[in-house]
Amino acid sequence: MSANADFQPKIIVFACENSGWLAAEHAAELALSYPERVELIKLPCSGKIDVLFFMKALEKADGTIVLACQKENCKFIKGNIRAAQRVKQTENLLKEIGIEPERVGLYYLAANMGHKFVEIIQNFYDKIRELGPNPGKVIK
Amino acid sequence: MIIAERKPIEEILGLLSKHQKVLVLGCGGCVTVCLAGGEKEVGILSSQLTMARSKEERPLEIVQKTIERQCDFEYFEGIRHIVKDVDAILSLACGIGIQTCAEAFPDKIVWPGVNTKFLGVNLNVGEWAERCQACGQCVLDKTGGICPVARCSKSIFNGPCGGSQDGKCEVSPDTDCAWALIHDRLTRLGEVDSLREILPVKDWSYSRDGGPRKLVREDLELESGK
Repeated sequence: MSANADFQPKIIVFACENSGWLAAEHAAELALSYPERVELIKLPCSGKIDVLFFMKALEKADGTIVLACQKENCKFIKGNIRAAQRVKQTENLLKEIGIEPERVGLYYLAANMGHKFVEIIQNFYDKIRELGPNPGKVIK
Repeated sequence: MIIAERKPIEEILGLLSKHQKVLVLGCGGCVTVCLAGGEKEVGILSSQLTMARSKEERPLEIVQKTIERQCDFEYFEGIRHIVKDVDAILSLACGIGIQTCAEAFPDKIVWPGVNTKFLGVNLNVGEWAERCQACGQCVLDKTGGICPVARCSKSIFNGPCGGSQDGKCEVSPDTDCAWALIHDRLTRLGEVDSLREILPVKDWSYSRDGGPRKLVREDLELESGK
């Protein structure tokens, strides 16, 4: 556990509207709860995610992830493959400036996986909580 | 186009170490196409720089701007009001743009954010190759459209040399032998006999001989003076 026990990470979640976003809605229908400081942003496909989006997110958040459709199940064929590449590219940019690459991530799920959505968010939240505040955060 | 590559982040952070407010200036020309210094790269680099400086608890304020081209003076006129409020400019243009920027703003520090590599072509995502050395006297009409100056490691005109093996250059197995390419292409076009023509020695005076080159076309002049 981080030295700062009161630390509540700010997380930005980019969600594909064909999987992650619907899974979030499913979680809401099931009345499942997840940490408060989680901001969801809808994407038309996980392939729309961009290194720049992740970097801008990390200027104000402690961690950011993209939720993509299951492998080989992207409506646009290669969107989730491209999202994975952009996560790697962002990890490299973060390493260059001495920020933990674990602050960015990619998770696969399907539209009807409300429980999985909450599990992903909670696990990532806990991981960032362990890491502590993002030292590069610009907007405190 | 001109191919450039962003400088290592440590080097850029070093250049900007004494500044509190900088303009990261992109160029909408070649460096946008080769993904080194366009609007998007300005955004990503600015994010990295502000985060790196925030981590050091020495905040850096960045103004982002990308102009049409940095190799033409007129495009700098529209950013004079931005430039006057910053400590320095980090230009992500090629070496030409960086110098033009410095000339446009003689009282402002202009740092280079990229290394200009060569004149080349985009082969694949993230892959570029040299195609021209701007030698000043094009010989592509004699060599099937393949340049021996830029693409032969020795820039020879009577190749291939003894280092050509299976169409590859001895310098690297990844490098095609330019003269093998020239021979194969002219053979395909039924023009290989043209290589038998004895050519005069290439006139290198059009290249770097005589110092920096300048081109003046009086036919384009509309008004006297600059």
